[in-house]
Amino acid sequence: MVSPGALRVVRCGGSALCGARAVYLLCASGDFVKVYSVSTEETLRLMGGHADLVTGIQLNPHNHMQLYSSSLDGTIKLWDFMDGIPIKTFTVGSKLLALYTLPSAEDSVFVVIPKKGERDTFQLVSVKLTKGAGQDLEGRELSVVLDGVGASVKHIAFGREGAYVVSVKDVNLKVYFFKRKLLNRFSLSTVKTKGGDNRFSCVVCHPTEDCIATGHADGKIRLWRNFHHRKEYTYSTLHWHHDIVMDLAFSVEGTRLLSGGVESVLVQWHNESSCQKDFLPRLGSPIEYISMSSDGALCCTLHTDNRITIINSNLRFSRSIQGLIKSRDVKTGLVVDPRTKALVLNGEPGHLQFYSLQSDQQLFSLDIVQRQYIHQADLKQSDLVKVAFSAQGTWLATVEESEEVTDPELQLKLWFYNEEAQSFELNTRINTPHDNHITDMCFRDMDELGDDSLILVTTGRDCVFKVWVMVGDTDPEAQQSVSWSCDFVGSYHNYQATNCCFSEDGSLLAVSFEETVTVWDSLTWDLKCTFCHPPGNIRKICFGRLTCSKYLIGATDYGFLCCWNLLTCALEWSAHLNVVVLQPDPLSEHIAAVSWLSKESSLFVFKPNEPRPIYIQRNLCKEKILLAAFVPRDEPEMISSEKCLWLRKSQLFFLTDTQELMTLSTKSLEERLTPSSKQLAVEESLPVTPFSLLLGKHRRQQAQEDIDLGKPVVHHKQEQASPAVKELLHTPAHVLPSASFLCTIFINSLLISKENKSAEEVADEVEMESEKAEDGSDEEDVPAMEQEDTSHMELLGEMTCKLSKSQEKELRKIRKMDYSWISAF
Amino acid sequence: MGEFKVHRVRFFGLVPAGVRCLACHPRGARLALARTDGAVEVYNFAANYFQEKVIPGHEGRSVESLCWAGGDRLFGAGLGGDITEYDLSGLSVARGLDGGGGPIWSMVANGTGTQLAIGCEDGSVKIFQVIPGGIQFERNLDRRKGRVLCLSWHPSGTHIVAGSIDFFRVINVTSGQTVQRIMVNHHVEKTKRECVVWAIALLSSGTVVSADSFGRVQFWDWEQGTLAESHTVSTSAALSLAVSEKEDSIVVGTSTGATYQLQLLPVRLGGLEKRWVRTKPFQFHSHDVRAVAHSPTALISGGLDAQLVIRPLMERMQKKSYDAVLRKFTFPHRRLVSCARKARLLLFQFSQYLELWRLGSTEETGKDGEVLPLCRMPEHLLQLKSKGPEHIYCSCVSPCGTWVGYSTASRFQLYRVRCDGDGVSLRKV
Repeated sequence: MVSPGALRVVRCGGSALCGARAVYLLCASGDFVKVYSVSTEETLRLMGGHADLVTGIQLNPHNHMQLYSSSLDGTIKLWDFMDGIPIKTFTVGSKLLALYTLPSAEDSVFVVIPKKGERDTFQLVSVKLTKGAGQDLEGRELSVVLDGVGASVKHIAFGREGAYVVSVKDVNLKVYFFKRKLLNRFSLSTVKTKGGDNRFSCVVCHPTEDCIATGHADGKIRLWRNFHHRKEYTYSTLHWHHDIVMDLAFSVEGTRLLSGGVESVLVQWHNESSCQKDFLPRLGSPIEYISMSSDGALCCTLHTDNRITIINSNLRFSRSIQGLIKSRDVKTGLVVDPRTKALVLNGEPGHLQFYSLQSDQQLFSLDIVQRQYIHQADLKQSDLVKVAFSAQGTWLATVEESEEVTDPELQLKLWFYNEEAQSFELNTRINTPHDNHITDMCFRDMDELGDDSLILVTTGRDCVFKVWVMVGDTDPEAQQSVSWSCDFVGSYHNYQATNCCFSEDGSLLAVSFEETVTVWDSLTWDLKCTFCHPPGNIRKICFGRLTCSKYLIGATDYGFLCCWNLLTCALEWSAHLNVVVLQPDPLSEHIAAVSWLSKESSLFVFKPNEPRPIYIQRNLCKEKILLAAFVPRDEPEMISSEKCLWLRKSQLFFLTDTQELMTLSTKSLEERLTPSSKQLAVEESLPVTPFSLLLGKHRRQQAQEDIDLGKPVVHHKQEQASPAVKELLHTPAHVLPSASFLCTIFINSLLISKENKSAEEVADEVEMESEKAEDGSDEEDVPAMEQEDTSHMELLGEMTCKLSKSQEKELRKIRKMDYSWISAF
Repeated sequence: MGEFKVHRVRFFGLVPAGVRCLACHPRGARLALARTDGAVEVYNFAANYFQEKVIPGHEGRSVESLCWAGGDRLFGAGLGGDITEYDLSGLSVARGLDGGGGPIWSMVANGTGTQLAIGCEDGSVKIFQVIPGGIQFERNLDRRKGRVLCLSWHPSGTHIVAGSIDFFRVINVTSGQTVQRIMVNHHVEKTKRECVVWAIALLSSGTVVSADSFGRVQFWDWEQGTLAESHTVSTSAALSLAVSEKEDSIVVGTSTGATYQLQLLPVRLGGLEKRWVRTKPFQFHSHDVRAVAHSPTALISGGLDAQLVIRPLMERMQKKSYDAVLRKFTFPHRRLVSCARKARLLLFQFSQYLELWRLGSTEETGKDGEVLPLCRMPEHLLQLKSKGPEHIYCSCVSPCGTWVGYSTASRFQLYRVRCDGDGVSLRKV
């Protein structure tokens, strides 16, 4: 049973906010809410349950261990984020675009919803959260507070003690006073004089005073005061940013104001004065959100490249949490590093990021271009366009080019992996390897043959492909023993070379020249044969693997997928399919093809030796899939379903045009979540206090004494007991049975018994008890979850059944067509 | 429409004098302005900010400070050490009195306009009484070292604050003793630079507002001598300061040409706690803003770039009218050029001399807006220097170009100009 699910939806919507005691950092990430530990930057918990993008998260103002989250699926959920348990779900109905909570509003929250009947008009409404017993509740008691507000979270702010609400849109500022029911509107001039642009970009309110800070598109920050007067309102201006102010945040006391924008500099303004300001520069990428922790000790900034930076209150960089960097344009494609099994793609401008899929974090970022990146519109920058790894991951080839269309500045760089330094080092730099854009590049993948068989092939739009080989350096002063140089230049009828690919044993090289695929002998560089399937240029080519290594697969522009037999030099079969992505699995003979037709992407997995696909997934997603990669699994997964056997050895990842990374998972949503949500990681996340140090010291001393006295038995027993105590201490207080009940068990576990065996028994008992207690607390949740689970499974099962039937019909048609084609040959 | 030839007269090299000080009439009807060359101008607010009167300057008389006292009488004091009263009907100096303390840097009148206080080079503050037909020395207040650059009366008239270099002091007028002496650069650590208190104001609540050369506007408690608030408005010096009558708004001029408004605003809406907040910055001047004034409805600033700018406060205006527009007085409002039409001559009036020019001529004709080539360049015929320290009031040339006349405060001179060929001869009549 297969369900498509986003493993890691990269968009980091909503605001990140620091939780209680600045220990946890909560972040809305795609359909999930993530809980990070501030001290270790680890993901402690992933709270999933929303069916769409999470748009806003807010701590419950009455209980700082609880969190409200809103989503585009129209629900507000209340979470216990310490344990990752959803407490309540309120169904509102319409899309929720932003969420706000107020301490003064007892049982209601504020959300932004689209106005009914009007497009692109939004309103701020308050939702009354009914106090019901069940888990799923209706929250349909809406009352409109403000009309015509902005859709972004940053466009609305609540003032001191919830006395008023401020909304900004374009050049208009609205202040609504709840008690007096007074609405004041202020507007700035729309005229753009002297490069000024008065449009509002964000708004925040001072926590203790009546002061509103607004950010503007031209980089100004305005501090509004006296806004209860329609005439005598006044504002002062702070101006440092040269471009749009992306977000603002006041410190807890309100003495400091933080602002950030595309300059990647966090600016701290003291006492609202323009002369006293501090800077934290070089944060790497534009700042999108700023959030302060509730105790004011930390602040965090969320960047456009999907990174969270945690910053101390004295404006020192503390640590950063890096997800998959959203690059403007992934030109390199998805490449898997054979060494680390990490996904490699464009990261920061000019950098290559190594992204670990297992731990969902960036391993490292390799600076390829090695030039200062200057943020400026219309400035031509050099960027990385192609990446290739050798089979063992010892060599890395990169191609960078400047963005100019007519005369690109090309550089081919070859990097050698240094085992000692554990990083790639530049070996050879080749200026202008081709006279025009490089279209494709590949290494000869040969594991068994030595280093000297390593060959790199590049194809260019200058109508040639070039073969690069390693040569020993004769210059005695050279630091490296080898360098790369060009060995052979091949061309075919002066057509542009578009793709290249080596066969599995490395004996054959296939290079596509516009409409033609040419096959070359890699020893003598003789043209062996050509294949052609007009009309349309060849888009992608690849060789079959293992048992199917005699086949060559090609996809053409006009929607044909062809399979040629290399032994007979004839077309084996072809299918009518608009293939966007063609990706062979390196560990099996399966090949994945993704088609793009009528605004939906479909996945076909097939073996080259049979034209019938073994797996079809229609309507994979609405976005266009641009890239795909098979990532080898650490250990083959046990898959019961016949249809999904191809996923046993490797996992398939997709990147869509909206820069979302997706995968196919064989497990259901709940299954994947369970291991993490059972974990209780309080100890790791607690700060080291003097008390805990003292206690730890005492314990260590005790242990030391025990050993000195030669009491290994006791020591052993203590270790046994400790998980029981741990369990007891870490179970949330509200799910524990009464203290009198626990007392005996607790004391028993601490007692030093004479017989080792009995002590073990006691420990077991304790564990059982605590487990029971936990079960008891979970009882409420479990049935509901299961129900949801089964319905989900049923639904998906039906869908796959239907699909496969219709699919079969279509396939039969295709097969008929195929035969006609062959007979025509 | 007739045909016109437009001369581009680019040879009138007038250097206007910068604005040195401003004084708003207590009832807000008039504004007196003194320029660095000693000229005094009076503007009438009621009549659309019309430049009503001009009293030309005098070589030996600079004006550092102006004030209105005793009804509609205007007094000025300067580095010459004299206090002068101006005759506003005769447009001349009515009478002068030596201050007796060296150059006078500042002068202010008390709330009722009966007493004048002057701050002198030698560090003394002297009180003069305004009597009908003149002023009379009344008493000396406590004298300390250091020139007194600025002064301010408490609205009740009991105390005076005197700003000096590095410190200011609060003086009790009745006893004449210094009550409080406050160092302003106490908070700036290890600066060798001296901190000049350029402007000071004493509010009725007892708050002293000082503007200093470090660009700070500071609010002090005069009884405790403690700093209440400090606003760094500029990286360069804050030169001038004016408080509105209601004491809820302050305008500050700085040496970068920017002026700032500070407003007393409630911290919380409807709350009683109020704080000074720097609100609006204005950049109208290119050079130092030496003088600012705060009328009930407008901020007025004058700078060394010779501009006078009147910026109305929109929130104090009842409706949008002609009064609610920004005004800039950039060029002189008097006639400084006179033309001899027949002789094609121009006479330019400067503060101390006159220049006579012959206009260039051309023989060609062209279309509208076309620049015609000159066959004869404009010619500087003569420069006529006036005698004595007084500045020229007015001047004229006759249409035929043979007579040139000018007058100063005390004399009138007439000259006959004769042009024969290239030579120009001048004869005093």
